[in-house]
Amino acid sequence: MIYNESANMIRDKKETTMISTKELSKTYGKKVVVNRLNLTVKKGEIYGLLGPNGAGKTTVMKMLATLLEPSSGEVEIMGIDAKKEVFKIRGKIGYVSQYFGLYEELSVRENIEFYASLYNANEPTKITNLIKKYDLERFETTMAKELSGGTQRRLSLVCALTHEPKLLFLDEPTAGVDPVTRKELWDNFFELRENGVTIIVSTHYMEEALRCDKLVFMSRGDIVANDSVENIMKLLDNNHIFSLVSHEMASLSRKLKNNPNILFTNQFGDELRIVAEKSLDLEAIKKLLKFDDVKISKASLEEVFIALTRDRK
Amino acid sequence: MKLRHIIAISKKELTQLKRDPRLIALIVMMPILMLLLFGFALKLEPKNVKMAYVDNDKSYFSNLIKTSLWSDGYFQLYEVNSKAKIIEEIRANKASAGLYISKDFSRELTDNAQPTVEFFVDGTMPSLTTAMKSNSDAINNSGVMGNMYFLDEDAENVIIADEPFIKETTVLFNPEEKETWFFLPGVIGVLIMQIALILTGTSIVREKEKHTLEQILVSPLSKIELVLGKILPYIVISLIDFYFILGLGWLIFELPDISSHLYLFALALIYVSVMISLGLLISIISQTQQQAMFIAIFIIIPSILLSGFIFPLEAIPEYIRPVSYIIPFTYFTEIIRSLLIKQTNITDLLPHFAVLLGFCMLFIGLSIQKFKSNI
Repeated sequence: MIYNESANMIRDKKETTMISTKELSKTYGKKVVVNRLNLTVKKGEIYGLLGPNGAGKTTVMKMLATLLEPSSGEVEIMGIDAKKEVFKIRGKIGYVSQYFGLYEELSVRENIEFYASLYNANEPTKITNLIKKYDLERFETTMAKELSGGTQRRLSLVCALTHEPKLLFLDEPTAGVDPVTRKELWDNFFELRENGVTIIVSTHYMEEALRCDKLVFMSRGDIVANDSVENIMKLLDNNHIFSLVSHEMASLSRKLKNNPNILFTNQFGDELRIVAEKSLDLEAIKKLLKFDDVKISKASLEEVFIALTRDRK
Repeated sequence: MKLRHIIAISKKELTQLKRDPRLIALIVMMPILMLLLFGFALKLEPKNVKMAYVDNDKSYFSNLIKTSLWSDGYFQLYEVNSKAKIIEEIRANKASAGLYISKDFSRELTDNAQPTVEFFVDGTMPSLTTAMKSNSDAINNSGVMGNMYFLDEDAENVIIADEPFIKETTVLFNPEEKETWFFLPGVIGVLIMQIALILTGTSIVREKEKHTLEQILVSPLSKIELVLGKILPYIVISLIDFYFILGLGWLIFELPDISSHLYLFALALIYVSVMISLGLLISIISQTQQQAMFIAIFIIIPSILLSGFIFPLEAIPEYIRPVSYIIPFTYFTEIIRSLLIKQTNITDLLPHFAVLLGFCMLFIGLSIQKFKSNI
């Protein structure tokens, strides 16, 4: 009985772990692009890769999607060794590159049919249903090059879904699209998650990262944080975040300059946000700034990210 | 119009070019190659033209004729056993010319009966035919004609004819020496080469540039499936093109009838496959479409110049000739001219077919090897 339970536990673990990496690294000569990534992605999670351009997000994405061979480390996708059984994995995953990956001279339906045929999933009814579901009906015969950026993104997503993958890689899927389309795309991602699809999404939009279940913060190839959004947001709990509104930002900022208790400041229009050491309390900052209208605020994800990566610049 | 703006654009173009070392290499290499080819390699005057001969007389006089042909290095003589064999050798592309001296030559010569020396020249390549005819005139010079007698002091009133023997020249296969018969089959090959290299030369690299390749590679498609899937449609298109051009040639220029349509189809299929797979290889090793186009041109020009399409292979110096033999178009040209003009026996062309097939397999193999299933 005990044996059976253990076996079930092992099976469950295998079934629920969609991605597992151990010390996964990628180097080009002496340049380390991804440095020892340890990652465990569970079924049904939306896992975000967050970082500025050049952080190594796309490299991680490509290594996980078997497009790029890791320099060292281990990677298992759905329990399959990604170094040994590349083609087995490729049949089970979906991938949307940051460059759309669409054939401009093919129509919407032709693009979907083509990608579906690579997975032996070229069933007309199924394709029609996908076109309907993702609201592409009116564009069915339109050439991909004639579509708007947002519709092209949606089409890319549909092309990656024809074989109903359980693991989906989305490399900056909303880059350059308007907020409405971005929201619609995220609605699609959430719906996919509800249907049991695990999603790895790379982005450099903070508000998007907040929609993920878990996040990996990357900076210059290093993993600076890897946890649930909730836990990551707590990383600045030992600091004070102050907020004030003023038209005299320059003079206020000058007063904070070179103060060892100030980690950094962040300006949004007339609002100045200050991330400081816990030792610097509200009264102390008011005194320092000679400004009374200062409030204590909550850290934003962007501030957490800056705090974690600022020393690397 | 502001000069500053023009300079800014030009500067940007130069910087982009500077960052593409392969393209720079091609830009530098191309003129060097052309200069060397035209300066050293391409001569209109052939050397060591193969001549099959039959000397049934084997006399001092027949030797004099052979030596005169041999001595200036234009012809390279080798012996065969019959007149029919001479024609066979020329038909099989083993020789370009032939010489037949009958067994009664010296007897008829001493009898002042003006014997005939028979010359055979391949008419496939009219420029070479003319050159061979003119070079065979070496036997008409005074050194040969003037020595066609024995000095017999006892003989009286020996009359030696001004022309002790008659040289009779037969132009084989293309007796009218039609230039179109010579050029058109090769032109078909050039057109197919251009179409195939340019069509496929950009096929993979275009997908790299448009990032669609990434999307395909992440699918369970194997390298072989992708490579074959890429070349098949272009093979069909190029085959249609091949017959279309050939059809026009027959219709407009009255090309001779083909000896075997089956062999012609085999040639078309193999040659088209060679060119398409070469185009694919170019596409795989290129980083940009511009690079691919340059490499294609880099292959097309030497192919035209060194394949025997315009200049006879015999006119290409020995040290450059190995290059001719690594050009697939060389084999195509020889086969198609042989099939169309000479009605050559297929067994004599099998080695050429085998080489073309080898090229095809090599290029497909290299394409599969060089093509990375990851990026």
